[in-house]
Amino acid sequence: MYEFPEALSVPLSDWVDAVMSWLLTNWGTLFDAVGKALLQMLLYVERFFLLLPWPLVVAGVGLAAWRTLGKWWSGAVMAGLLMVIGSFGYWKLAMMTLAIVTSAVVISLAIGIPMGIVMARSDFVESTIRPVLDAMQTMPSFVYLIPALMFFGLGKVPAVFATIIYAMPPVIRLTNVGIRQVPSSVVEAAEAFGSSSWQLLFNVQLPLARPSIMVGINQTTMMALSMVVIASMIGARGLGLEVLLAINRIEVGRGFEAGLSIVFLAIIIDRITHALAARQQKTLGGGS
Amino acid sequence: MEESRLEVSEEAETPRDVMDYSVEVRGLWKVFGPRSNEVMDGDLRRASKDEILEKAGCVLALRDISFQVERGEFFVLMGLSGSGKSTLIRCLLRLIEPTVGKVFINGEDICSYNKARLMHLRRHTVSMVFQHFGLLPHCTVIDNVAYGLKIRGMPKKERYERAQEAIETVGLKGWEHYLPNSLSGGMQQRVGLARALATDPQILLMDEPFSGLDPLIRRQMQDELVELQDRLRKTVIFVTHDLYEALKLGCRIAIMRDGEIIQLGTPEEIITDPADDYVREFVQDASPAKVLTAGKIMEEPELLLYEWQGPKAAHHMLRSSKQDHAFVVSKSRQLVGIVTRERIRETIERGASSLRDAMDEEPPTCTPDMLVEELFPIASSTPYPIAVLDENGRFLGVIHNRTILDSMIQDREEKTDV
Ligand SMILES: Nc1ncnc2c1ncn2[C@@H]1O[C@H](COP(=O)(O)OP(=O)(O)O)[C@@H](O)[C@H]1O
Ligand SMILES: [Mg+2]
Repeated sequence: MYEFPEALSVPLSDWVDAVMSWLLTNWGTLFDAVGKALLQMLLYVERFFLLLPWPLVVAGVGLAAWRTLGKWWSGAVMAGLLMVIGSFGYWKLAMMTLAIVTSAVVISLAIGIPMGIVMARSDFVESTIRPVLDAMQTMPSFVYLIPALMFFGLGKVPAVFATIIYAMPPVIRLTNVGIRQVPSSVVEAAEAFGSSSWQLLFNVQLPLARPSIMVGINQTTMMALSMVVIASMIGARGLGLEVLLAINRIEVGRGFEAGLSIVFLAIIIDRITHALAARQQKTLGGGS
Repeated sequence: MEESRLEVSEEAETPRDVMDYSVEVRGLWKVFGPRSNEVMDGDLRRASKDEILEKAGCVLALRDISFQVERGEFFVLMGLSGSGKSTLIRCLLRLIEPTVGKVFINGEDICSYNKARLMHLRRHTVSMVFQHFGLLPHCTVIDNVAYGLKIRGMPKKERYERAQEAIETVGLKGWEHYLPNSLSGGMQQRVGLARALATDPQILLMDEPFSGLDPLIRRQMQDELVELQDRLRKTVIFVTHDLYEALKLGCRIAIMRDGEIIQLGTPEEIITDPADDYVREFVQDASPAKVLTAGKIMEEPELLLYEWQGPKAAHHMLRSSKQDHAFVVSKSRQLVGIVTRERIRETIERGASSLRDAMDEEPPTCTPDMLVEELFPIASSTPYPIAVLDENGRFLGVIHNRTILDSMIQDREEKTDV
């Protein structure tokens, strides 16, 4: 009675392995191609970020924060945080992290926003995707590393792949919600004047859903950033790897500095994208 | 053989007079709900609305609606909330798909249209004004007004010019670059109206456009709409739940209840012969009709002709004062008759030289002490305005059909507003 009967065991792991090996043998070339393209893109983005002179980045961030947050001292604070990261000696690692996050976010948006649109336009699609998104949200982020590893092995590519999968749900969800929340009276009026489906999307639905989509972008970016440490376990270089190494070697000070750098990056990105989203909301006013 | 027979029957099914109507609706049903076809096929067709809801779980919104609207007519759909007015007017543009029935616009069955033709219809022929405005909150007034032109693919400069015209027509000059949310309700609806006019449609659909506005603004907008309609001569189909508004605006009124048209007629007909308790109540309630006298509501005529004037002079005067008809009096202001512009023209073409040849010598008349109530039957039996004469037959003033209704409506509104 203390032993669970062997007969009732389900060989799920065998099945999954079988599916994966089938995928890899039959679609292996596809994964290779995708992996190569992704790697190329990553290298370009990384090179771009590393080529940026640091004063330019600091000034740019300060200016962007000032413009979006509306106060000059917010700009100064954000620029200051960036300076602190540099002063820890982590400038290069921070840029690498930014490169990974940026690539992952751009791809997440490029896939997630269209998916959100499709979801908003079809109740059937919504009812099939929604449970998947819900499930993804409850899964621990480590889980995403497994398929990434299986498809792409170790390195930058699986790290970005896992980050994309992990970070995509919010932007899908909020694009869908934003479009569905557009007042039906406005949509009806646009249709009554003979809008085509695309015209409705670009003239009415997307502009009115923009605040919601901006919130989605903000959340997706934050999730991508939070994946950085975990993704470093399978080969992403940058601040995450630094934290990971510090933990392994029990170097508290080093871990603290690297961790703090990630937090600072998070604050900067969050504040700026958040302010952008809020400003969208304000210009649209109460809707109607 | 088969084919030729089919052609003949098609032609027979589309009689020529269909083309004469701007809008014609034939046997239109709308049942909301997944089992709507069962309702249409089965015995439930004749069942009451409640019964259909109970047995099939469907909402019957429209039952066997048929009517025709002439070109340039102002047609009003009137009924209490839930009577199916919005559903009906949306079926005319297929914003809601009818369950059964046909809608003809300019003689074409729009239910058989494919997507592209339907889009063309919406872009060029028919536009709509909504109760809740439906303006784009992120676009300025002028961009809202130009929306219909933009989706046609009209270049920016041209569409702004036309939008600007429409904006001036509705009296919103100077507000072009504001966002709709910074405008009052009345002004937002003006934007809605301008947007509908900008595409220069033949047919204007209006679903309770003034219901959300306060009474003063509402009355003003009604007056302006009447004036606009006089000038532009569009076919207007106007939905309202307000009988006074219906009487004031409509050439003809269709009164709806529970998805059916229970009465269709001119305002006069509806007042004199109400088919429904709701209408009857109003008419009985309409005390002004029992109190107001002809002398109280009569007006100075815009134009009075004298019997010795020649037809050419009379025609010229009618034309320059933009009147269709005028009463003709003698030197002592005795009423002699009434002339219409058209008949004068014919007379001139025939070469006659006396105004008498063009005159109708028995125009409708009344005395100043007659009650407005007594004027209804007179007004509904004649195309002319009514002449008010004293006991000696001297001409005192004129009463137009519209004046009769307006007098009642205004009195009523003043009461309800306070
Ligand atoms: N989308 C819908 N689904 C189900 N029932 C509807 C729908 N739209 C309208 N109805 C019903 O149809 C009837 C007529 O509604 P409507 O045309 O809006 O009336 P009105 O405009 O005269 O107030 C009402 O009983 C309403 O509840
Ligand atoms: Mg309605």
